[in-house]
Amino acid sequence: MYEYGEFDTAYVRDRVAQFRAQVERRLDGSLTEEEFRPLRLMNGLYLQLHAYMLRVAIPYGTLNSRQMRQLAHIAERWDKGYGHFTTRQNIQYNWPRLPEVPDILDALADVGMHAIQTSGNTVRNVTADHFAGAAADEVADPRPYAELLRQWSTDHPEFQFLPRKFKIGVTGAPNDRAVIRSHDIGLELRRDAAGAPGFRVFVGGGLGRTPMVGQELAAFIPERDLLPYVEAILSVYNLLGRRDNKYKARLKIAVHEHGIDTIRALVDEAFEERCAQFSGIDQELLSGIAAQFARPALEQRGVAPYHAAREADPVFRAWADTNLADHADGAHAIVTISLKPHGATPGDATAAQMRVMADLAARYGHDQLRISHEQNVILPHVHRADLPQVHGALKEAGLATANVGLVSDIIACPGMDYCSLATARSIPIAQDIATRFEELKLEHEVGPLKIKISGCINACGHHHVGHIGILGLDRAGVENYQVTLGGDGSETTVIGQRAGPGFSADEIVPAVERLVLAYLDLREGAEETFLELYRRLGAQPFKDALYPEQARRRRDAA
Amino acid sequence: MRHDPSSGPVAARVEALNARYRNHAAIAVLRHALSDPAVGRIALVSSFGAESVVLLHMIAVLDRATPVVFIDTQMLFAETLSYQAEVAAQLGLSDVRTIRARPAALAAHDPDRLLHKSDSDACCALRKAEPLERALAPFDAWITGRKRFQGQTRARLDFFENEADQRIKVNPLAHWRPADVRDYMLNNRLPRHPLVARGYPSIGCAPCTGRVKDGEDPRAGRWRGQEKEECGIHLVNGKLVRGPVADDARQDQEEAAMNVIVTDTGFAADDRGGDFQSPDLPGATALDLAPDADVSVLQGRLEGVDIIRIAFPAFSDGRGFTMARRLRMMGFAGRLRAAGHVIADQYAMARRAGFDEVEITPDLARRQPWEQWQARADWRTHDYQKRLRGLA
Repeated sequence: MYEYGEFDTAYVRDRVAQFRAQVERRLDGSLTEEEFRPLRLMNGLYLQLHAYMLRVAIPYGTLNSRQMRQLAHIAERWDKGYGHFTTRQNIQYNWPRLPEVPDILDALADVGMHAIQTSGNTVRNVTADHFAGAAADEVADPRPYAELLRQWSTDHPEFQFLPRKFKIGVTGAPNDRAVIRSHDIGLELRRDAAGAPGFRVFVGGGLGRTPMVGQELAAFIPERDLLPYVEAILSVYNLLGRRDNKYKARLKIAVHEHGIDTIRALVDEAFEERCAQFSGIDQELLSGIAAQFARPALEQRGVAPYHAAREADPVFRAWADTNLADHADGAHAIVTISLKPHGATPGDATAAQMRVMADLAARYGHDQLRISHEQNVILPHVHRADLPQVHGALKEAGLATANVGLVSDIIACPGMDYCSLATARSIPIAQDIATRFEELKLEHEVGPLKIKISGCINACGHHHVGHIGILGLDRAGVENYQVTLGGDGSETTVIGQRAGPGFSADEIVPAVERLVLAYLDLREGAEETFLELYRRLGAQPFKDALYPEQARRRRDAA
Repeated sequence: MRHDPSSGPVAARVEALNARYRNHAAIAVLRHALSDPAVGRIALVSSFGAESVVLLHMIAVLDRATPVVFIDTQMLFAETLSYQAEVAAQLGLSDVRTIRARPAALAAHDPDRLLHKSDSDACCALRKAEPLERALAPFDAWITGRKRFQGQTRARLDFFENEADQRIKVNPLAHWRPADVRDYMLNNRLPRHPLVARGYPSIGCAPCTGRVKDGEDPRAGRWRGQEKEECGIHLVNGKLVRGPVADDARQDQEEAAMNVIVTDTGFAADDRGGDFQSPDLPGATALDLAPDADVSVLQGRLEGVDIIRIAFPAFSDGRGFTMARRLRMMGFAGRLRAAGHVIADQYAMARRAGFDEVEITPDLARRQPWEQWQARADWRTHDYQKRLRGLA
């Protein structure tokens, strides 16, 4: 993976020194609170409900064991002993004190990490497929391009004060695991007829209060055009994006208001101008970066211990069935460590758990870890023969929950327990759903099902693209949960449809249970997933399950 | 909130409130005023004048149902009436109470609407003070937008005042400077009273409000030619006040005219003065570009242009950076200046985007002295763009 060179290291140190001075200048009045706000945001520091929150970038979700250990150290030294992994490959600390934040940033810089542009109206942390460099279905590793974009977007002089935040996601496989159609710019790696790499480019995706699916801006741009093309998009957005209303300021609104063809014409014009700015030296840097992402040398030895453990241990087998994904090398597997134990806060990990994961990566995983947008941790290159040991160590640390992709592998935003914007709790709902399905012992029978929960219309829990989405609102001081159905965040992205009236906090878990039971009744067999059934039958049978009273009346009337 | 009678008489409560909130910011004082039982039932009194929108916006953010009392003297500018409606609708204020003098009183004392010519104090009492007194009867406290800088009579204004042992007057903006007001309106993109742009920085009734010349006190247009400073609403010790306009406010205005130019070598005076022209003017050599100007129209017209000044209406509005980069890509080799609200922390960005210099107000230069800009005059180092583009 990419190791910071002298340039990156000097930059990050300099940036910490700048921020340290900014904190002092805020305290002495040189900076007003309004001026300080975007400066702290572009360094990852939010003011939340109870305290400051520091959001640390894990660029394209990749880190090594040393970095993971440092995240554990920070959690213990400056926070309450845990961290929260987010849906955009960041980790958040919820209790840092302002005067100590520069020290935390220095500790991050010690291991080549930072919190730069994890917030604010800037180009945010560039995200990528969490199976990058390992997946069997990959066209090419998206991370070298994501790293090139990180360098390009960092402190870009034109784009630190955009109309609104700007998110870029890159996937290296046709199976989109990076939700790229929900990003301002989504990049899909593909090859042209001659086999040269390039990108299909989507723009104007986004969830939030006005969810929109990204539209294709270009079917193919060659890799050398990446920076000037992305810069052209940003320059068009910087001038065209609305600044009169923050709820209409994202690129998706500009695309919606002006139309994709107008945006394309403007981008093409700007691209001509921008091309001359790049001499090609970025391509040399890119090949240097790509070399650092070369797949580690994989051992070739027998996988008999893996099969033996499957035979002997049903708990191991259940975990292997849900938490392993195919590696490009058949003797290896991609391990997903679930941070969703039943009844716990999705995405939270204690310092001790972070160290266990770091140790496993160092010992069995070529020193590599990934963070997924589904708030889990990945060991991308584990030999199958080592899986029984890995599973044993995870079990001891409370990290062996076998639920990846299942009902209880829920994405949830922090909700009203932490966030000042939230209008309802989301974590307790996720916990109750997971606990209920654990009691029913049904999740493995139900199979792949994505439940996503947001505590307000800003949709940080991605509820729009959940097969079952839950949106918590405040109705006259009472929490009310709306259900959306049929959403999908993959390469076939669809925004879920609202099912009907919302449910109280007491009613929402039974409502989800009714949905899942209806699916089990109606499906043709275990092969037909929840989403496939929904697409085959439409919303009505699910609505009938959600609102049995109305269904009865409808039947009586018929 | 109804006030807790056990909290004592007005004077004691005012003293305790001032002690409690001494070091709070305007918005915090206002938030507490709306909920502190020692304050009681409260209303905002607003003229919907030149600066009123600041408090109206704060109220809208904190609690849009707070009663807002608007006095229509029936001598107001038409612009004020339409601005009142626009602002109330835009901010979603749900309890605006428009009050007027009683028709019988008007018929008795000012039937031909000329009282202001013979006795402006009597006119203020009839059309403002008396209706206000009636409107405030149900309240324990009221909020005003008065500020210390507005004149000598207001120089020692506190957040909380005792009004004749009857009510508390709350002045959340007491410590604000003119620049704070301006910044707040810019940053929150609040609509301006249409008359401000036409030379009326302080707006009252039409017959008694005039234009203000450059360099004059902003309130100089109120009751021009009369020895009158307050309108009758803001009583001092229960009486109307007379007296000269404060000197310190004038001084502020004069200094405000002299902007500071920041370059890599330090602060300097502006060698161009105000000598900039519209880009529409053929043959202009010093161009002023608005934040939303389309630089493409200057293609082929940059020959002979010495300097271009791009306006930054707020530091959070980054359009100017892309405009500068585009002008450089179009081949413009003259001076490029960023002017307006640009902060020291943006200096390196401005330089890297193609600007040569930044023009700031003396207020900002005082708050962010040269050392703070110098810290970012190292803009050539640690520059990812230079590295990625292979440019020298």
